[in-house]
Amino acid sequence: MTDKDYNDCVDNFADGVYRFIVKNIRHTEDAQDIVQSAFEKLWVNRAQVLPEKAKSYLFTVAYHQMIDHIRKSNKMPLAEETSIPHQPINQGQAELKQLLMRAVNQLNPTQKSLVLLKDYEGYSYQEIGEIMNLSDSQVKVYLHRARLILKNKLSAYAPTTS
Amino acid sequence: MQLNESTYETMFLLYIDNELSPKERLEVEAFIANNPSYALAMEALKATVLSADNIPYAFKENLKQQLDATSLEALEEDWEEHGNTTYATILKEDMQAIPGLSTYFKNTLKKETVSQGKIITPFRFNQNKFTYAAIAACLMVFIGYQQLTKIELPPSTASQLVKTELSNASPKTSVNNIEPVATIKQTATIKLQVSKSSNQRDFNKFQNASIAIAEPTRNNGNLNNQAIITKLPSSYNNPMTMDALTTEAISIEVDTEPTIDEKATTSYEVIDTEDPNRTIFIANFEIDSNKLRGLKRKVNSLFKNNKSERNK
Repeated sequence: MTDKDYNDCVDNFADGVYRFIVKNIRHTEDAQDIVQSAFEKLWVNRAQVLPEKAKSYLFTVAYHQMIDHIRKSNKMPLAEETSIPHQPINQGQAELKQLLMRAVNQLNPTQKSLVLLKDYEGYSYQEIGEIMNLSDSQVKVYLHRARLILKNKLSAYAPTTS
Repeated sequence: MQLNESTYETMFLLYIDNELSPKERLEVEAFIANNPSYALAMEALKATVLSADNIPYAFKENLKQQLDATSLEALEEDWEEHGNTTYATILKEDMQAIPGLSTYFKNTLKKETVSQGKIITPFRFNQNKFTYAAIAACLMVFIGYQQLTKIELPPSTASQLVKTELSNASPKTSVNNIEPVATIKQTATIKLQVSKSSNQRDFNKFQNASIAIAEPTRNNGNLNNQAIITKLPSSYNNPMTMDALTTEAISIEVDTEPTIDEKATTSYEVIDTEDPNRTIFIANFEIDSNKLRGLKRKVNSLFKNNKSERNK
């Protein structure tokens, strides 16, 4: 990877990596630090990273740094966001999105990361497994469990969707 | 996977995760079309998919690295601006713009063809060369050690060296005059040393012989201290392949105390030529495994010390 390729990676992938991290840890400054660390690591190892693998490399590094950050800081999900308000789902798409995001925040970190990588980045099971160091079967099972949990949470508070 | 009541949920989840082939997707859609009651289940699962959410990272410029102005990409871009003009033309134009140069010099500027350069690769001291160098150094140290520990014999005794080779099948010995004794398993180098106290008359006999063969006598399978020296005609000049021809046998006492020469692993073969003033010595070095092991241990300890210092 050349210096120019690295700058292209910043343009193309910085937003995605930041979104993935900030959605997970919900802390803006910490997410920015993790993104910066991930790109620093990419810069240091740019000679060994192929341009086509740069995105996967960035997400892998960022994910593991996020896990380390969570372990060190022992941060728990915010209390005010752990409960879903009883609102009818048909109030609009924005409310549905908000409800879904709050339901996602109630998932455990692994399930949450799986859903974010799948829905936001569109990674396949295999690519997600490489990033999170899981097998394809584990990704499939954990993700399906997460989907069913989300479905149940949404249906519990939005009878119109069930 | 066949779609039915027990498998539809898995197939629906794979469908919304976009992990099905086009054919399987069509099967799922056909299943829902034929069974409208499952459409709600599909909609409920689709509702769990997060929609795109753009959250820009505000510090992209801080992450970017400044490209070097003289990098190859910059040079290529700069070169493309000049189109088809050659570098020599650009140089000539630049030289014309310099006011201090004479017109004659400017007109004599020529476009020189640049010969293809040859890349000179520096000497790379790779692992194999290091190994060869280490082996060569060890060999030189060993040879030097052998040379230092060798005791030089006076000219009168140097000409009395005898090398005897024994084999289990048919011991053959080549002897030139008289000398040393040593035993090494299957082959033995016997140095018959004639001391000053030995019989001077016998010594003189062997001194005149150019080639002789010595066979050690065996006592219950052990090498005896006595050797029978067989005198051969002086015209014979190939002692290595010759059978022992007994013409005259004399028993000589051999020193039982090992001398420094006996410990040394260097033996000499002396080939006398017809010219009495000319003698050919052939040296044969034999490596003592104990000494080599000690040398290897010292080298290993030296490298281990260096490694431990580096780790510190």
